[in-house]
Amino acid sequence: MSSSPAVIVLESVSKRYGSKAIIHDLSFTVGKGEIVGFLGPNGAGKTTTMRMIAGVTAATFGRVTVAGYDMATQNADAARQIGYLPEHPPLYDTLDVSAYLRFVAKVKGVRRAAIPVELERVTVACRLEAVYRHEVYKLSRGYRQRLGLAQALLGKPEVLLLDEPTAGLDPGQIQETREVIRSFGADHAVLLSTHILSEATLICRRVAIINHGRLLAIDSPSGLERAVEQTNRVTLQVTAPAQALREALLSVEGVSSLEIHASPGDHAVLTVDCQVDARDGVEALIARAVASRWDLHRLERQQPTLENIFLKYVKEAPSRGRRRERHAGRLSEGVIDLLPLADRLLRGRGVPLGDGLFLSVQHFLDR
Amino acid sequence: MFLLGTGYFFLYNIFLTGDATMAETFQNMGVLLLTLIPVVSMRLFSAEYSARTMELLLALPLTPWQIVLGKYFGAVTMLLLMTVGTLIDLVPLYLFGTPETTTVLSGYVGFVLLGMACLAVGQFFSALTQNQIVAALITASVLLGFWFVGHLQNFQTSYVLRSLFGYLSFALHFADFIRGLVRTEAVTFYLVVGAIALTLNASYLQWRR
Repeated sequence: MSSSPAVIVLESVSKRYGSKAIIHDLSFTVGKGEIVGFLGPNGAGKTTTMRMIAGVTAATFGRVTVAGYDMATQNADAARQIGYLPEHPPLYDTLDVSAYLRFVAKVKGVRRAAIPVELERVTVACRLEAVYRHEVYKLSRGYRQRLGLAQALLGKPEVLLLDEPTAGLDPGQIQETREVIRSFGADHAVLLSTHILSEATLICRRVAIINHGRLLAIDSPSGLERAVEQTNRVTLQVTAPAQALREALLSVEGVSSLEIHASPGDHAVLTVDCQVDARDGVEALIARAVASRWDLHRLERQQPTLENIFLKYVKEAPSRGRRRERHAGRLSEGVIDLLPLADRLLRGRGVPLGDGLFLSVQHFLDR
Repeated sequence: MFLLGTGYFFLYNIFLTGDATMAETFQNMGVLLLTLIPVVSMRLFSAEYSARTMELLLALPLTPWQIVLGKYFGAVTMLLLMTVGTLIDLVPLYLFGTPETTTVLSGYVGFVLLGMACLAVGQFFSALTQNQIVAALITASVLLGFWFVGHLQNFQTSYVLRSLFGYLSFALHFADFIRGLVRTEAVTFYLVVGAIALTLNASYLQWRR
């Protein structure tokens, strides 16, 4: 939960296309002056969520509020407060850059007298001066992306929704775009979807991780690191007898478990992966316990990166479990009891239990 | 293209009949319109879908009705420009003959009303698909159906069906205008067809959202 006033509020939002559920019971807020990163693999539901907040599509269940306006009933009012850059910049190729920006400014309700100033502001912010009079179809991918960002900034909206804003930009342009977003995020609410984890770490105050349409975690990057701190690992290479080394390491305070392997190329040297808690100085205690008795060749502590955290959450998401629940929900209790047996039988025959096959099993068992 | 076609038919009709009248030319203009309207209307929404700019329109502070009417009036402006272009044909007509001004005027009123109804229908079908060719083909089929449905009257013995096919015919209503009759029934018909198509269009956008 953000401490600043919430500008974007999603309350138990779900989205279905026909019988297919894309978003499940999504709830989070984005406050004023906050940049929230939206992370998830392809098909996780990031773009659909962005489109719901932007008012492009409506939530099937739940409530989306932007700047105090309910998107279900006050869509047009809310849209004045939203700058939206979709995944593919929505540009009219036949217009030139200035005409395109003027069109968007007019529709957004920018006063006629203020339009030239507003156009200059976004043109400078997005470094579009060199192509201001060029037709849009002649622009490079990077310029198209920046023009898309410029139209989103028009009208000084309270909320900025950016779907992969740095896609297709060169490193210099990425740096500039991040600066624009960071400066805008100082007093606005920004929701930024990205695949680039370092980008989220660099410019986002909080990060939301989504997969299979469910919110898995939302916290600051450091908060997420703390949440998975049990994944801190210390790796060391030692020449020592395995059993004595195991006993010595497990006696060190902070070491919860360990795995010992022979090092490739030199079987006398053992490689040890220790799971440790997040306290500082655990590696010093380990070094002291080992180096006083044996030869310690290497010791390394691995901090959790956002990438590790992301992978941990995404991999742990119980997608198959949910699918089983969903299918099993249609069956009688007696049949549900038989499903694990059917699963084991099929696995025993080397048949992977995919969704389609699971349905066949379900039909078979129903019969 | 439209102006060239209209000019050709105007000259052909004048020299063939020797009458200082626009009646035959209006008839040809109506058929030309049916073939050209799908080409004009097919882009209205289909191009927005394929260029992914529909996302922008839906995210801007616009209601579906504003989007629909904005596009419709843009297309109607084009229709009016096409219509104004045909006024050049009246110069020799008035120089070398004495046409009935009220008949010419009613013909133009009918032509614009017919065009407005056709555009609304074409715009609706354009909103249903992102393929412009599909939109144009469906629109052309439906408009030609409405144009020729009056011919089915000849095969009906039932009074109700004869009346229905007559009422639904774009061509029969347009023939009234060409003859100089501005009938409330015909005006209402074209306006209602346009209103229904635009309402379906706005409702479809709302439903998509």
